[in-house]
Amino acid sequence: MPKIMIIEDDPAIREELALLLENEGYTALVIKRFTDIPAQAAQEQPNLILLDIGLPGKDGFSLCAALRKAVPAPVIFVTSRDASADEVRALSLGGDDYITKPYSVPVLLARIKAVLRRNSGGPEQADLLEAGELRLSLTKGLVASGGKAVELSRNELQILACLMVHAGQIVSRADLIDALWDSQIYIDDNTLSVNMTRLRGKLAEIGLPDAIKTRRGMGYQL
Amino acid sequence: MTLREFLSDRLRRIALQVICAGLATLFLFATGTQPGVLVILLIVLLLAFLTVNMFDFFQQRARLLELKSILDALDRKYLFTECVPQPKGLFERRLFDLARLAGRDMTGAVSDAQASQREYREYVERWVHEIKAPITAARLICRELDGDTRRKLTAELSQIEAHVERALFYARAENPEQDCLFRQIELEKIAAQAIENHRSLLIQNGIRVELENMNCAVYTDEKWAVFILGQLLQNAARYRGPEPAVILSAKPLGRQTQLIVHDNGIGIPAHELPRVFERGFTGSNGRIRGGSTGMGLYLCRKLAVFLELGLDITSTEGNGTVVTLTFPAKENLTKL
Repeated sequence: MPKIMIIEDDPAIREELALLLENEGYTALVIKRFTDIPAQAAQEQPNLILLDIGLPGKDGFSLCAALRKAVPAPVIFVTSRDASADEVRALSLGGDDYITKPYSVPVLLARIKAVLRRNSGGPEQADLLEAGELRLSLTKGLVASGGKAVELSRNELQILACLMVHAGQIVSRADLIDALWDSQIYIDDNTLSVNMTRLRGKLAEIGLPDAIKTRRGMGYQL
Repeated sequence: MTLREFLSDRLRRIALQVICAGLATLFLFATGTQPGVLVILLIVLLLAFLTVNMFDFFQQRARLLELKSILDALDRKYLFTECVPQPKGLFERRLFDLARLAGRDMTGAVSDAQASQREYREYVERWVHEIKAPITAARLICRELDGDTRRKLTAELSQIEAHVERALFYARAENPEQDCLFRQIELEKIAAQAIENHRSLLIQNGIRVELENMNCAVYTDEKWAVFILGQLLQNAARYRGPEPAVILSAKPLGRQTQLIVHDNGIGIPAHELPRVFERGFTGSNGRIRGGSTGMGLYLCRKLAVFLELGLDITSTEGNGTVVTLTFPAKENLTKL
């Protein structure tokens, strides 16, 4: 379980962020004493550091340099300073990414995941999703069941992937739209309906016409 | 200063000189000087007066021209009295001293005003950074709520962010060169960032966004381009029609690149179109839909001028609006 160190002076953000990361399956290490942070980091050996620039006493830039010397962990700057010069400075000091507050939660999580993956040199993403009789290959865009396979469009692929990740649960239309926007597919409610109908048609082709159930007024369920 | 103006200004003195010459001639005639001598004397006197006056005229005119050219060359005209060589005449010198005192007072007032404006700008920037911390915390807290409440609150938070963002860019637009970094950037990245920033607003209003041919690079400041595009997306959401959609497409225009933002909203009446970039202009749509500040497009224009970005708008009422952003070719940029 990757350890993420949070260096942030705003207590509300600090605690909520820790909670969020714990919920996402990370171990959150919260720094509360802002003295000798590099030593604390060296002791804890985190896998990733989230670093605020505007800290009491010391500024995040010089801290970043010190942290890089102390631990091998990648550093993501999280800051409300959004001047271009700050960003360039942060990245040139060895920061791995730069996120400006207020960030949206999915964006933050995606960036954390990307930096961790880049650093561990792990695989892009689990390519194969499985739920019930369905097997979905994300890179090929193929869904298979019982020896039959069918190709999906980009939109259909993302819809099915979202349903399969939450297999068994009810996924609301709003959540589906959110998930699609996360993948840079900016569709509206009508388009979602159209894509859903097509997706069901394709699932019927491989012998699963009722794989996706409509839960009236709540959403869809796989 | 023309000769006529000079003469009419000097009329009293010239009249006095002529009268004095006449009186002197009369006096000499009465005391028995020969008329021939008197004629010569009169001619010499008048010639002398004429010469003196003409000399004064040319000297004054040359002096005025010199001062005028100094004034023209000055960037800050109110510093004029500080830049002029000391005049020779006593009276003119005193006048200049007075003007200089007045000028110093003005210089002080101007630099006070500039300092307070700069402080205000710095305060706004700091305030914006401070307000972002509680917004971030609120966003994180929102996650614990159930779907619908979370979405509504997130949308409201996004609105707050959009207003805060406009305030920040309004402060920055005064001295844009302080925070500008031109570099090569993918149009797709700019679009994705702008859409992400206004995602709640767009989703909430049921807007579909399509990207076409966006995989090309432009040379600009990313943050500001994202801001400008964000304003256009907000407008598309605010003035949407039924089944709203926004299409972003890019096409090359010579060495430049055009980004076309096309919506199918309610459009802008033709007679209001020339005024949409004015500060505080809200128009009939803004009055009907509400929530319009009249600042978005004004700021876009202001920043676009600095980015050397072409910003054109066309619209058909009831049919939609097309905004075209023309990104300059890299080699044509004057400030880097």
